[in-house]
Amino acid sequence: MSDSTVSEDAIVIERVFDAPTDIVWGMWTEPDHFKNWYGPQGFSIPLAEIELTVGGKRMVCMESPDGTMKMCTTGEHLEVTPTSRLVYTESMADADGNVMPMGEGNPGRTEVTVILEDVDGRTKMVLTHAGVPADSPGATGWNQAFDKLTDYVGTVVKG
Amino acid sequence: MRSEDDRLSQTFAALANTTRRAILARLAEGEATVNELAEPFNMTLPAISKHIKVLERAGLITQGQKAQYRPCTIDAAPLQEVSTWTEQYRHIWEERFDRMDDYINQLNQKEQDHE
Repeated sequence: MSDSTVSEDAIVIERVFDAPTDIVWGMWTEPDHFKNWYGPQGFSIPLAEIELTVGGKRMVCMESPDGTMKMCTTGEHLEVTPTSRLVYTESMADADGNVMPMGEGNPGRTEVTVILEDVDGRTKMVLTHAGVPADSPGATGWNQAFDKLTDYVGTVVKG
Repeated sequence: MRSEDDRLSQTFAALANTTRRAILARLAEGEATVNELAEPFNMTLPAISKHIKVLERAGLITQGQKAQYRPCTIDAAPLQEVSTWTEQYRHIWEERFDRMDDYINQLNQKEQDHE
């Protein structure tokens, strides 16, 4: 099951953290911890609503340092197995949590899978992020920078 | 992998500036001299040259060696690499996990201080 999402349309990142699995689990599930690492550098996380049950809501908002840019994502938890496995969906949303339409042929929904494993008191974490459509507005400021670039890269390559 | 990350970081850093993105956008339409690139900006030639150097180091543009005009041209290869969503998000997640690592180390340090 964990291998099925490994494709060109998925990111898989493995990391080892110097902390037991319950601490790393808390990084993803406790808003106070989550807010300390998730946002782009300098961004604040005014909202992190994490309802930790299957079907429970997960909504996060990020705000740029000058307050001019606010981005939210919303989704639900698909699997919640404390300290070992967390799966949730994610879609771009407005500040009220309404999913923003992504256009035809675009799922607009992505799936994040976090698997934690104890390795002698440390934690091996494997993240899989699958199914983000290429032209979706992303969850961070990088995408704004790339919107135009992506457009003209195609032109340059062809020309 | 490391060197690939470094190269990507360099590309991202070069792109994280509106003037440099505007320069690239201009070059996407065709080659241009430094003078031509400087025109739309309210900037001195040395300031523009600095931006061009950054883009050149990131491999995003090349500057001709011949002729006194030394026109700049865009090189799309590094852009292609970061234009896929997987590369963008990989970068985002890697940065997030760097911060998570820092934060966990802070927590570990606090705990040690209490002991």
